[in-house]
Amino acid sequence: MSAIPISAGAPVRQTGKTMTDTVLHATGLVKEYKRTRAVAGVSLAVGTGERVALLGANGAGKTTTLLMLLGAITPDEGEVTVLGHRLPGGRSRAMERVGFAAGYLPLPDRLRVREVLAYFANLHGVADPGPAIEAGLERFRIAHLADAMAGELSSGQRTLVGIIKATLHRPRLLVLDEPTASLDPDVAHRVRVGLEETCAADGSALLVTSHNMTDVERICERVVFLSHGLVVADGPPADVARQFGRANLEEVFLHLASEEKI
Amino acid sequence: MAGTLDLLRVKAVIRRQFFVQLRAPQRWFDVLIWPMVDVVIWGSIGLFVDQQGGAGRAGAPYMLSGILLMHVMYQANVSMSCGFLDETWSRNIVNLMVSPLRETELLAGLMLVSLTRLVAGLGAVALAAWLLFSFNVTSAGWGLVPVIAVLMLVGWTIALLVMALVLRFGNGAEILCWGLLFVIVALSGAFYPVDAMPGLLQPLGRLLPSTHAFEAARRLLDGEPMPWNLIAKGAAAVAVAVPAATYVLWRTLHLFRARGYITRYS
Repeated sequence: MSAIPISAGAPVRQTGKTMTDTVLHATGLVKEYKRTRAVAGVSLAVGTGERVALLGANGAGKTTTLLMLLGAITPDEGEVTVLGHRLPGGRSRAMERVGFAAGYLPLPDRLRVREVLAYFANLHGVADPGPAIEAGLERFRIAHLADAMAGELSSGQRTLVGIIKATLHRPRLLVLDEPTASLDPDVAHRVRVGLEETCAADGSALLVTSHNMTDVERICERVVFLSHGLVVADGPPADVARQFGRANLEEVFLHLASEEKI
Repeated sequence: MAGTLDLLRVKAVIRRQFFVQLRAPQRWFDVLIWPMVDVVIWGSIGLFVDQQGGAGRAGAPYMLSGILLMHVMYQANVSMSCGFLDETWSRNIVNLMVSPLRETELLAGLMLVSLTRLVAGLGAVALAAWLLFSFNVTSAGWGLVPVIAVLMLVGWTIALLVMALVLRFGNGAEILCWGLLFVIVALSGAFYPVDAMPGLLQPLGRLLPSTHAFEAARRLLDGEPMPWNLIAKGAAAVAVAVPAATYVLWRTLHLFRARGYITRYS
């Protein structure tokens, strides 16, 4: 694996896939907040069915990058194309086949779990979401929560519902921000297994951020490290660890985090 | 903001709001309790003025028609604004902004919900006024329909501005949901003719579409023929206000995305 240059507008890693089987293609993304350059030239491509982790310490630019890739933040520079739809104009069409969940986000209040799931399934164009909801709840082993109020769930249960919500419409790209943050080992295991099953069954590509390197090594076949708003490494986990002369991703993470100003 | 409407998504927004309305007791206060409280307060004031012989023209009917029509603006504004604020309070706005939901679909859903609440709230006011003060709003006739239409559009205009302000300044701006409405009500002469306002404020009042609608309603109550000139003035002002507020919201949304304000909720 060759190292990606640490410079603005770093080239998109060649995954051996053509544009037609690329679900996400972003080039030269830049975002500044007042005096802070959060993202300084990120380029990224994710192929069909590929499982990619976007990693970096706090303040590395992960969440801003994700939100630009999803059209919620407009980049100052650069372009994003999702499933052939260029953002921001094609945002709605693109998001029809994208699922998103974040471990830190609450669910809409005053709805039961089943209603939350039906709400998002409808937003994604699923007119009769009943069977998909039952299957999702079974897959993540929370069928007993179907009629619970979403606002009364534990954080782990909420995360599981969030992930199910993101997968009901069988997305071609699943984007998860910190899905296993503050989960106990059992729930984190359920998330990993459920995601693997979902991606295998639906052929969904996965783009995930996480601070849990063990999860990342288990779930993802490719990791992209951000530091100071730039891509500093991109490749299979073992190759990236080798590139930095470290034994594993955890050590790479700690090395890069020590250089990050937070 | 452009784009076609997907009815399934509009329906999803309506369904979500239906459940919020059903399970949030405080929402019933807005729809049923406050309207009745207002009827008691303003109807009693009007009646008292009548009893003192101070009202050259009908006191209680003016007050009651004023409160009824103010609730058209109130329900249209508060229902739509709160529908949006619900999504910011629960930080669901992040989920919505990365979903296929278009802004037009969210607005269409919220408008339909607000229309339903408006009918319920108006019914509550009309019923309370009839039961407590024997005031029959239908005595003003069908002429009230265009009056109500203008006031409903003013309510939605305020809601669009409130949404823009919340997007720009965060949830701290939500106080304007109610504050802006009451400023408009005061300047519109909901309970009094514009001529009764301080001279400095009268030109401002005459610019508002709601001022002409309230004045038209009073003329109708007095048994005058339909004041089409006032309705036309109100409609013309609303034809400027609604697109202007929509443009402000559209520009603010653009700014919201450009400045990454979504991170306030992530």
